Amino acid sequence: MAIHAEPPTVTHARGLLPYPTDYKTWKILAWTGPVFLFAVFVLWGFLAGNMPPFPASATPIEVKQHFQEFRPRLLIALSICLTMTAFYMSFSVATARVMERIEGPGGILSKLEMLGGTITCAPVMVTMSIWLTAAHEVNNLSPEIMHMLYWFGWFTFDLAYFVTSFQIAAVSIVFMRDKREKKLVPNAVSWWGWVTFASFFVVSAIPFVTTGPLAFNGVISFWIAFFTWFFWIPALSYYIIKAVPRLQAEDEAAGRLNA
Amino acid sequence: MEGVWVFIGADSVIFAILFLSFMQDRLKNPAVFEASRHTLNMHLGGIDTLILLTSSWSVALAVQAMKRDEIDREPRLLFGGALTGLMFVVSKSFEYFQKFSHGLNPGTNPFFMWYFTLTGIHLLHVIAGTSLLTYLWVRSRRGTYDHLHKSVPESVASYWHLVDLLWVVLFPLLYLMRTA
Repeated sequence: MAIHAEPPTVTHARGLLPYPTDYKTWKILAWTGPVFLFAVFVLWGFLAGNMPPFPASATPIEVKQHFQEFRPRLLIALSICLTMTAFYMSFSVATARVMERIEGPGGILSKLEMLGGTITCAPVMVTMSIWLTAAHEVNNLSPEIMHMLYWFGWFTFDLAYFVTSFQIAAVSIVFMRDKREKKLVPNAVSWWGWVTFASFFVVSAIPFVTTGPLAFNGVISFWIAFFTWFFWIPALSYYIIKAVPRLQAEDEAAGRLNA
Repeated sequence: MEGVWVFIGADSVIFAILFLSFMQDRLKNPAVFEASRHTLNMHLGGIDTLILLTSSWSVALAVQAMKRDEIDREPRLLFGGALTGLMFVVSKSFEYFQKFSHGLNPGTNPFFMWYFTLTGIHLLHVIAGTSLLTYLWVRSRRGTYDHLHKSVPESVASYWHLVDLLWVVLFPLLYLMRTA
């Protein structure tokens, strides 16, 4: 006589994702976005004297003098900023997880966002490292080498922008597709993302000019391109941080208690 | 639709910053800016203004036709908008060609750096707008838009009016305004 085992009773439905949701970790990772912004804005921007940047038209001797004068500040700011840039990666992971709740598990744009955010860290870290080396070795290097390192840093920092553009485009597309009555990220932030996306393109001109609006310290290539991004990051971070408890409440209401 | 206004508002603020920066540089080099201004083709700039105003008018009529469900009128009005946009691109390309053939480029002096930057960024806006209008024209031929389905054309029209408005400020700023 065959014995038929009773199928296990389903006490709760499985979540949208094929793995448990750890809301606490998710929220902590979402908070790393503002931490990254603090690092770049305060350490790289103000403490390292990059707001405004030392001019693109500076001669090799002026660049060397600048690094000598600011050496202690540069060593502190750039070394900490280099380490803290990793927070952009963790923020991108948290953002991708929110996007998956709109796009579906393993969505291609969510993956693009996560890779775009993670790879953005690479040129930022390399730039910090180049300028940190320049500050550290300033008394052993010729003005020409200092000038080269300074420009090498700016080219790496600025011209890798399209990796971040992919991230911004992916974020904007997915959150604009959100069908919720009250979207997880409002359309205003997504459209600001498109402004940021568009403002980056002009940065491609920096190898060709040392003065004017297109120079790396100019009104377009620095003040507009950087500050559109500086506004986008905290706006997105705010809604990503708020999205995690909202999604948790949605899961609880739908009986998806898989944490 | 409210998101489009964020884009338009941000774009306007960015251009306002650029116009102010241009004015600031102009104050530093009044003689260079005034001499360089005289080399610009004022008549061509005036024709460009007429082209864009006509284009904006045509697109405004197209949106009005959608609101009235005059589906037959929409394609030719949108085509008019796209065609005039293309005419602006051709006119601006001709003007750039003239400048380059006279040895004038962004590196010539601060005025021409601003001239090519401002008109170049504006031209990119025109190219984007013309592409969007062409897309709307193709869709309108299938009868896609009416008074219930007009949010995309209205958004594109709002953007196109901004592009027109920016030129209306750019033209006097670069071509007409004398240095005191």
